[in-house]
Amino acid sequence: MAAFPKLKTGAVAQYPATRSPQFQNQVLRFLDGSDQRYRDSAGALYQWEIRLDELDEGEMAAVEGFFLANQGCFGNFEFTDPWDGQTYPNCSFAADELDLISLMEMRGKASLKVIENRV
Amino acid sequence: MLVYPQLTSGALTQFPVQKRRRMRTVMNVLADRTTIKLADPQGEITEWQLEYTGLSDDEVSALQQYFVATEGRLNIFTFLDPTANLLAWSDQLDNAAWTKAPLLTITGGVADPVGGTSAWHLSNSGAGPQSISQTLQAPGGYMYCSSLYGRCPQATTVTLLRGTARGDRSLGAAWNRITFSGQGDGTAQSVEFGIELPAGGSMEIFGFQVEPQSSASVYKSSTQGGVYQNAYFRDDVLSFTATDVNRHSATINITHANRL
Repeated sequence: MAAFPKLKTGAVAQYPATRSPQFQNQVLRFLDGSDQRYRDSAGALYQWEIRLDELDEGEMAAVEGFFLANQGCFGNFEFTDPWDGQTYPNCSFAADELDLISLMEMRGKASLKVIENRV
Repeated sequence: MLVYPQLTSGALTQFPVQKRRRMRTVMNVLADRTTIKLADPQGEITEWQLEYTGLSDDEVSALQQYFVATEGRLNIFTFLDPTANLLAWSDQLDNAAWTKAPLLTITGGVADPVGGTSAWHLSNSGAGPQSISQTLQAPGGYMYCSSLYGRCPQATTVTLLRGTARGDRSLGAAWNRITFSGQGDGTAQSVEFGIELPAGGSMEIFGFQVEPQSSASVYKSSTQGGVYQNAYFRDDVLSFTATDVNRHSATINITHANRL
């Protein structure tokens, strides 16, 4: 299984980086105003928003190549959480779209979202 | 063959360039958020937004004539991705995309100049020059820049190939990036890019790249290559704004769909 590409610095993300745990719970509300809550699936799934800036053309090509190799959100890959170093073995891109912007020579930017999949 | 025109500088576009990759995945999300996915490679779409400023009257005229020739988004044309390495499988010289002469031996996994192991060792055991090359279905009259990193155990002159044009370059024991720029035969509908090694010679090679411009940019490892033969204008209208005498600006959107 392919791993998420690292930048030349060895990092996988830059500031600002966003990490979000997401639970899936259901709430049933009754006529008397009370409610009942229950889990709809086990545990939280994480998602990461990665905004990359000041990339050179080689780094841009690596991100694009990885996106193509995964065919957008179809493929699964291993992702190391840049916040704590924990490895999540089954992740994928959240969307089938990837925007790559070349502002100047060696000044590219890209933004992507990685989600953890339920195994 | 309709081919998107280069500017008088030899560049295909200017900064900024925006490229959007759109894939298609059919996804069924179950109640517990597990997913069943089906890829649709034919649904892949690539879009470029090219922003031009400071175009001369001649450049605007060429783009307008070209737009008229394609009748807006009606006709497809060949577009060379200005942000990509035009060669396919640039780090895998044993891929079928490459044509290797019979007496040339190639070995992968060699240490490269950027700290990886993506370089290749080439060895010519023949009595004559041997080459490795790739043919692109791209216009011969374009301005191209081919580049690669190379080194040889003994000082050697290698030859970069671009169609019928040849450029001799010297390599020594240290990694050095060599380039070969120029235009070729304007009537050719394909161009062969490669490197030729003299008889008995050997070298290490990394980062073979071809770009539709006059100078080399940072090496971009590639798998697909950057020649899109069935591209089309996204819109039926093309607006140019005159910002001064002999200065114009425009934004052009080009799309390529795998299904075409």
